Amino acid sequence: MSGGGPVRPYVITGGRSRPTRTELAFESLVVALADRPELPEHALLNREHRRILDLCHSLLSIAEVAAHLGLPLGVVKVLVGDLWDLGAVQVLPPVPQAERLPTTLLEEVLVGLRQLR
Amino acid sequence: MASANSADPVAGPPAAPQYLPPSVQGAVKILVTGPFGVGKTTLVGSLSEISPLRTEETMTAASSGVDDLTGRGGKTTTTVALDFGRITLNPRLALYLFGTPGQQRFWPLWDDLSRGALGAIAMVDLRRPDESFDVLGRLEEQQIPFAVAVNTFPDTPSYPEEELRSALDLLPGAPILYCDARDRRAAYDLLIDFVDHLYRTSVLEPQR
Ligand SMILES: Nc1nc2c(ncn2[C@@H]2O[C@H](COP(=O)(O)OP(=O)(O)OP(=O)(O)O)[C@@H](O)[C@H]2O)c(=O)[nH]1
Ligand SMILES: [Mg+2]
Repeated sequence: MSGGGPVRPYVITGGRSRPTRTELAFESLVVALADRPELPEHALLNREHRRILDLCHSLLSIAEVAAHLGLPLGVVKVLVGDLWDLGAVQVLPPVPQAERLPTTLLEEVLVGLRQLR
Repeated sequence: MASANSADPVAGPPAAPQYLPPSVQGAVKILVTGPFGVGKTTLVGSLSEISPLRTEETMTAASSGVDDLTGRGGKTTTTVALDFGRITLNPRLALYLFGTPGQQRFWPLWDDLSRGALGAIAMVDLRRPDESFDVLGRLEEQQIPFAVAVNTFPDTPSYPEEELRSALDLLPGAPILYCDARDRRAAYDLLIDFVDHLYRTSVLEPQR
């Protein structure tokens, strides 16, 4: 698992307990950008940020990142938000953005499930 | 997959990450909720294409009433284990299933979990239906579309639907479905029936 001993969320997130991007959800999908900008080496990124970048060379949800790195979900939201601000990751928002779910989305889910059954 | 003889199907370190296809553009989620030991983890495991994963969320809540085991009052921080699974529905869309504890003390977590959810499957063990009253009330209050899923344990009593409906004090909108959460096919049928219900409701009441 994390291999880094007990995690102190407050320290990892630099004292912030709220994501800067409130729209991040547990099912938001994250992928590290291959052609990401030169990242500041020391100041802004900690070890956990780098672990997220390493893990997310392909697409995973925030929840999966948290599970694989052994970090609390709230912490991962903050860290992914940082990486997003830096342009180091792409975040695909959870699909329903509107208040009401479109019928076509439910139909797509239904069709998918019936095919997998 | 989850080991059949383990008491806790998602214990132990997670397997290597199973990445989504790069064509996926977004994800939706459905909550699986219900009281302690009702079969949430089992259902998520039966449906998931990945080995079910577990994660933790810290929850700060004003402690109160029966759930205040500290006796200190004020704020308490609890760690809540959530287990979840995933189904890639098509090359563009993934579905996440979150096993969500239903007890009142976990409700602060529900705001985050339920935002954007397609709906919730509320599992009920008919040997102890009273333990589901809290969660059913909460789902109605939050106006989260839900279905009741009765798992059939060997000694589950059977009731006529009307009797069950009034015992659980269910509003007419919520269907009652049955399943054996351990069986993949039964779990899929349950999920399909639930999404079919959501779809029909959405077609009939576009202004929901
Ligand atoms: N016969 C039968 N047993 C079931 C069914 N669903 C779950 N079980 C069993 O019930 C026990 C509890 O199931 P879990 O999936 O761990 O329940 P849970 O809701 O995740 O429990 P907590 O996370 O502790 O709240 C396990 O031993 C399951 O094998 C079912 O539909 N039929
Ligand atoms: Mg469980």
